[in-house]
Amino acid sequence: MNETGFDIELKNLSVGYERNRIQLEILKGIGFSASPGEMVALIGSNGIGKSTLLRTLAGFQEYFSGNIKINGQELSTIDTKEIARVISFVSTENISVANMTVFDLVAFGRFPYTNWIGRLTYHDKQKVSMAIHKVGLDKFENRYIIQLSDGERQRAMIARALAQDTPVIILDEPTAFLDVSNKYEIFHLLQLLAKEKNKTIIVSTHDLNIALREVDKLWIITETGNYQGAPEDAVLNSWLEKLFKNENIGFDIQEGEYFFKKKFKANVKVEGEGLSLIWTLRALNRTGYKLVMKAEHDFTVIAGDKTWTFQKGNNHEEFNSIYELLLFLERK
Amino acid sequence: MNKSHKYKPLSFRTLFLILGLLFIFLLIADLLLGSVIVPLKQIYFSIFPSAETNETFRTIIVDFRFPKAFTAILTGMALSVSGLQMQTVFRNPLAGPYVLGISAGASLGVALFVLGFSSVISFGVVSITGAWSLATVAWIGSFLVMILVLYVSTHVNDVTTILILGMLFTSAVSAIVSILQYFSSESMLKAFVIWTMGSLGSVTNAQLTVMATAVFLGILLAFFKIKDLNAFLLGENYARSLGVKIVSSRVLIFASTSLLAGTVTAFCGPIGFIGIAVPHICRVIFRTSDHIILMPAVIITGSIVMLFSDIISQLPGMQTTLPINSVTAIIGIPVIVWMIVKNKKFDSV
Repeated sequence: MNETGFDIELKNLSVGYERNRIQLEILKGIGFSASPGEMVALIGSNGIGKSTLLRTLAGFQEYFSGNIKINGQELSTIDTKEIARVISFVSTENISVANMTVFDLVAFGRFPYTNWIGRLTYHDKQKVSMAIHKVGLDKFENRYIIQLSDGERQRAMIARALAQDTPVIILDEPTAFLDVSNKYEIFHLLQLLAKEKNKTIIVSTHDLNIALREVDKLWIITETGNYQGAPEDAVLNSWLEKLFKNENIGFDIQEGEYFFKKKFKANVKVEGEGLSLIWTLRALNRTGYKLVMKAEHDFTVIAGDKTWTFQKGNNHEEFNSIYELLLFLERK
Repeated sequence: MNKSHKYKPLSFRTLFLILGLLFIFLLIADLLLGSVIVPLKQIYFSIFPSAETNETFRTIIVDFRFPKAFTAILTGMALSVSGLQMQTVFRNPLAGPYVLGISAGASLGVALFVLGFSSVISFGVVSITGAWSLATVAWIGSFLVMILVLYVSTHVNDVTTILILGMLFTSAVSAIVSILQYFSSESMLKAFVIWTMGSLGSVTNAQLTVMATAVFLGILLAFFKIKDLNAFLLGENYARSLGVKIVSSRVLIFASTSLLAGTVTAFCGPIGFIGIAVPHICRVIFRTSDHIILMPAVIITGSIVMLFSDIISQLPGMQTTLPINSVTAIIGIPVIVWMIVKNKKFDSV
């Protein structure tokens, strides 16, 4: 059952809050787009207005100027009830309701389709069970949501969005409180859903390393300008570096990772091969040694299969683990 | 179905059946017990007059105890439904018409009416227009408080603040009422003090008509909002993303609450703890968060609790009665304390 997807287009959009009839503009001149089957990650530093943009996209608040076109239709002209059939929303908010089972929670997704009292038809129940199955919570269907772990609960919230059966899903930092493996699982799941069901998925996140590996497109908001493109475009055009005002944070264009620029304690040359070499390099890098190939070096480390050798002039020391090697270097 | 097997040892149907039987039992007990204890068969003879009908017993049942029992049932329903609505909308288990100051708002309306226009009290007790006026001032009072609460809740995203505001408002009202009492005549004062103690028995037939109509309308409105109430459990953002029109939905729910709590306060005085305790009792018994079940559950449980309170308050076999709001407090507070200590479910609705 492949749904016809909806695309999203933001043109010269200005968003913000209205307090006491004064418009506080938070973001302006936004121009982003997303196509069906695409998973888009919205990134930007804390407080720049990611949530405001997503809340506006979800129809929770009005926008000041510009356009939001959902499948060609201006968002502000769509009725609240109609929006519920087009866009579903998942936030980072922790839902704890006593006596509510996973099934009950996911069944909320059918809300826009049920009658005045909210009665679930056989078809609705099937949709709910299917959504629960999709996120891998089959065994938890009758468990109370307050008994779930954070990762399980977030998956249940995603299942709720799935049951809502909308072409667009917006998620505001869905992985904020999850551990690394759960973060990967959620991203992977969302990517799968985007492809399989031809959904347009927009997710805001701070987990850049994961986003770079999983999403189709980045929407980047920075103080100096906004950019969109494939994660790889972002890396090659050094858009990501613009996210940080802190000069000590750099972006490793080779590894595709952020790193903290440190002051080096000494220059070290490392010899060896395979995994042992890679992780020895990482350990030395982490503890603040500059790795050099041929240039002036203060000492040499030879990474063997099970032993690590420290070499400086005639001084030789052998260690059985990286930990012991680092301990020795620390004491010197 | 294994769903009900693991977590719900009794099905909803069985639970409702048990509560229904308990309701009938307590209703009959309430009609029989009091300063004069009426034999059971006289209920039958009162309804179907025959040679065995004892006119004294018939008068007691038809003219005194039945209106009082009916008032108790309406009060229990109204306060429980308004408590459930407030707890869900504010997602806070301590919310209720009494705590939020809605009852206080109604009290202020009644106080201004009764003490301010001293000539209307006698007129208020007997005539239907008087009953409607009394109810109307209570509704206005409670609805004004609800609007205040609504306004604050859209600007302050913290339920604790709203609850504290409700408490402050209740204190302010009692201060104003004290001042009014200071300037009023002795007879007015006595009438008002009796009203503040709460009474199910002083409701006249004219008032009962008004009360039944208003409670019926309030509950009807609550039933139409069942679906939205469920959505409010997930918070405002999720409710909106599911297509709920937040403002209009809230206004209707608040109107229902003011109608229910205001009516009860107008005719029976401020009665506390039913609005908080009954929804909790129902959540423990039914183990669901679905208002399709909870709404009828609090209606029947609220009636049961008020009938029980009424039986206690009329102290069977003795000549005196206790103020009803003392009885509900004595019954309600231990329930709340027990739930805090035992279930630790108090942190979520």
